[in-house]
Amino acid sequence: MTPAVEIVGLVKDFHTSFRRTPLRAVDDVSLTIPAGEVYGLIGPNGSGKSTTMKALLGLVAPTAGRCSIFGKDSLKVDSRNDVGFLPENPYFYKHLSGRETLRFYGKLCGLGGKTLDERVKEMLALVDLEDASDRRIGGYSKGMLQRIGLAQALIQEPRLLILDEPTAGVDPIGSRQIRDLIFKLRERGITVFLCSHLLEQVQEVCDHVGIIFRGKLVKEGRLEDLIAIEDQTEIVLKDASPELVARIEELVRQEGGAEVVRTGKPRTTLERLFLREIR
Amino acid sequence: MSQAATASASQGSHTGRILVIATHAFTQLMRMKVFYFLAIFAVIALASNFISLPQHEGPESMGSNVLSQIKSWSLGTMTLFSVVLAIVATALLLPKDIEDRTLYTVLAKPVPRFDYLAGKLLGVLMLIFVSLALMDLLMVAVLQVRTSMVLTQQQEMATALGWSQGTIDSMRAETEALGPNWSLQGAVVAVFLRSAVMAAIALMISTFSTSTLFTTIVSFLVYFIGYFQADARDVYLHSGEAGQGVLARLGSLLVSLILPDFQLFNVIDTVIQGGVLPLDVFGKLVFVGFYYTVFYTFASWFIFADKEF
Repeated sequence: MTPAVEIVGLVKDFHTSFRRTPLRAVDDVSLTIPAGEVYGLIGPNGSGKSTTMKALLGLVAPTAGRCSIFGKDSLKVDSRNDVGFLPENPYFYKHLSGRETLRFYGKLCGLGGKTLDERVKEMLALVDLEDASDRRIGGYSKGMLQRIGLAQALIQEPRLLILDEPTAGVDPIGSRQIRDLIFKLRERGITVFLCSHLLEQVQEVCDHVGIIFRGKLVKEGRLEDLIAIEDQTEIVLKDASPELVARIEELVRQEGGAEVVRTGKPRTTLERLFLREIR
Repeated sequence: MSQAATASASQGSHTGRILVIATHAFTQLMRMKVFYFLAIFAVIALASNFISLPQHEGPESMGSNVLSQIKSWSLGTMTLFSVVLAIVATALLLPKDIEDRTLYTVLAKPVPRFDYLAGKLLGVLMLIFVSLALMDLLMVAVLQVRTSMVLTQQQEMATALGWSQGTIDSMRAETEALGPNWSLQGAVVAVFLRSAVMAAIALMISTFSTSTLFTTIVSFLVYFIGYFQADARDVYLHSGEAGQGVLARLGSLLVSLILPDFQLFNVIDTVIQGGVLPLDVFGKLVFVGFYYTVFYTFASWFIFADKEF
């Protein structure tokens, strides 16, 4: 099966006027994303995440290596029929309303007539912006901008969605909505390639993760495999009495070869607490 | 996933995409309220109608100066508006898209870079065309009313002075030549073509420029160079031995191919004075305007095709 994304030996150098030697933003990065997966590329600021995404979209030309989307060279325009892209902190045309924005991007993808009307309606419902659809984008909040950005990225029903820092600067509610959308998209079989430095959020939504640092891909694999602590086992009990816990600990001691590392109450995250309290 | 939507997405034609981007650029500029300028034009056109010039002349020139003045003011304002809009609007659109990162979202769709550039240019030209058409309409209306007033006055004065019918008819023909006619429409087309060339030049500069200000200044410089480059080449080629060589002549040809010669557009002044715009001169203007607009658009594409964002 053709992978959704294939990046082979990608190198990107930038020539700056102040340096004789070019600045290497991406250094021999290779990765493959199977169709239907959610892949997170994580790394600190300036590590080469956005440049990798731009190379995949043909916005920058690779110094060496190649990128392809569903088998099509990403420098060719037709590869973009299957891609939706949301850049970091997007600013759409402020003079357009949300609906007009979606119609504009839809028309760019060759949509028109009833198909376009239906897609616009569907996308506005998906990102929960039906009530604000006729308001000018200039009056949208950051979270609304991200959501209309997601809607425009999905307008032509792409098979691959590329998100650059999708939750940057968005409040916890907006951030939660965007992550819920990513789950919905995964259920629909859409491949998602996102980059972020918000590690907890990546951990929550991604199947595969790559860690990029100073332009190099230093670690890559299935999230479950990467974060599992191999020599530990977790048992979570509900309504267990202190006596039961003591008996279990005693049983572990009697068995030998194993030890209880920690017992206590699991903690919710601050985000979950926040969302629960304000709803 | 609906296959119908995906299939139709890949069917988008170049023309369709260019028109979508052009319509969008037109709307964007319109919502920036550039049409307010039309109100200023209306005031100028109407004000020029109320000029009172010295009345010590004979019937043959009575009021005819006012007709020239209306055309002069109107075409002058049209030139100012169209050239300023062509340069400033075009210089603004591209850097704004880059700065706001809307360019990423557009180019991440199946949009060839040529379609994007051509669409932006066409949007600016559509705005200039609509504006000029509205201004033209107003100018013709004002001119029509004033011409008939002048003709009536001349007729009355000439009859009172006992002029022969032949002389009166000749005077009438001269006055009508100063009113609205096809030559005047040709001059308006010339104004449009000149602004189209300037928009294409601004587009090319904005593909490599780092700021709107730089694009605007350089574009205006090219505009002024366009008015004396033909003279400069002429002086150089006839200045002595240096201008006689093959290299000098080839260099001169190259300059004329790359830099527009706006002196050709001076025919507008002839039309203002009641002169006729011959069809062959008009044809040459259309060809030259079209040539430079296409040349600069392709030059823009050449630079923009490999630009990285």
